[in-house]
Order: sequence, then structure tokens, then C-alpha cells
Amino acid sequence: MEPEDPFERLKSMPPRGHHALLGIYHVAAGADWAELACPFSAGFLMDAGSGLVSSGPVISLIDAAAGAAIIARTRRWEPMATLDLRVDYLRAARPECTLHARATCHRVTRRVAFTRCEVHDGDPANPVAFAAASFFFTSEP
Amino acid sequence: MIDRAPYAQLLGVREWIDADGSTGLVMPASVALEGRLGFLYGGVIGSVLELACLAALAGEGEVAAERPRPINITIDFLRGGLMVESYAQARIVRLGKRVVNVDATCWQSDRESPIATGRMHILRA
Repeated sequence: MEPEDPFERLKSMPPRGHHALLGIYHVAAGADWAELACPFSAGFLMDAGSGLVSSGPVISLIDAAAGAAIIARTRRWEPMATLDLRVDYLRAARPECTLHARATCHRVTRRVAFTRCEVHDGDPANPVAFAAASFFFTSEP
Repeated sequence: MIDRAPYAQLLGVREWIDADGSTGLVMPASVALEGRLGFLYGGVIGSVLELACLAALAGEGEVAAERPRPINITIDFLRGGLMVESYAQARIVRLGKRVVNVDATCWQSDRESPIATGRMHILRA
């Protein structure tokens, strides 16, 4: 494990910004994928009374996991921006459950990276959401 | 009613009334909403678009807004969101018997230069 590896650098960075607010943390990774998670918080609810979980944290966790999957695949530290993101909500997430997002980066071109992501709240066989997101590298050519 | 949701309060989202009387959402920038340095987190922009869609449903007196069942959302990120106040407004394209189609836009200082747009399908009943 080389300390300068960009993915190791990503993993070792202390959470800041919105990652810190949601408590997003690294779970596992492979050559072209990354799994991140965030613990449930009462702030994720749409309605404190009904226990309905907002889909907003799901979007943010997907965005984070997809970005991490791209770095896992490219092993490059390149500034990038999300181009588009589509989420299919298969079912509502359950309250009190940690959300997991496992994203795979399927292809990287000079300018664009394509990812897909699955989200579950404890059982990978019973997913909460499927997503597809593309990113572009923002640095000048 | 959307701004009473704990998640809307987590983001600092409040309801906002336009000069023409239409309603939308406003979200002040804060460090807790930042992604890469100096820019709003993409997931936050997607979330505020989604909340704007639900607020539009609530504005129609739609009961589905109180216990929304989102089917899916598609978000286009058009510009980097700066660390300034963001606005979002949504328009119901079709209020069907079973499904509602909603379009949403998010902008910052210039409404004519949106930072993101979104399309959402929400189940009724």
C-alpha cells in the first residue's frame, strides 16, 4: 500500500463539508468500485412523527460513492464534477438503519466517467435504490 | 410544510415566496453543505431539487406531499454551485391519477443561469 495512492489518500482524509454532516465513511473497495455508508440520523426524516426517511441522504451518498469508485478505478486525483444523476427509488429506506452505497465505475474516457450504484439499508439483496451517474473531469486539457 | 421536515432543517432549507406569489425554497450556504472546496455538494443540490418538487405538490394541496413516495429523479448539473444562497422552484407538469410529473430548477444569483435542473416522478395514493 503506497501512501501516495490517490484512493488511499481519499480514504485517509478526515470527513469535512457535507460528508461530515451525513457521517459518510468508507466501507470497502475494489479495482473499479467503492462502498460507502452513512449511519441513520433523526435529521434524515421527512416527518418526525411517521418515521419516513427522506431520499435526500440517498442522493448524497450515491454522489459520494460514485466519485470514490472513479478514483478507485483511475487511481488519479483529478478534479471532477457530477454531470447527471438518476436515481430509481425501489422502496423507502427504513429509519434507524445505516445506508450503504456500492458504486462501480464502468468506463473512463479522457473527459468522462460512467458509474452505476446500488443502495441498501442492511440487506444487499433488498436494495433501496439503483442509480446511474456520469461525471466529467474539470481540469483544462 | 416542507421546511418543517427534519431533513429540510438539516440542510437549512426554508420556504420562500416569489414576487409573483409563487412559492419555492431557499437554502443559505453553509460549511456543512460543501463538497469540493468552494462549491456546494452535488448531492445537496439534488436534494433541494427534490424538496422543491415535494413543496410544489404540497402547494397543490396534494396529500401525497405529506408522505411522498418518490419513484425516481433525474438531475442535470449545469454549473458548479457556489457557496452562496440557492433557490429552487418546481412546476407540476402533469398531475395524473396515479403519478405526478414534476420539473424543478435550482439557481443562485441569476435565475436565468440555473445551476441544476431535475425531473421527478412521484406516486399518488
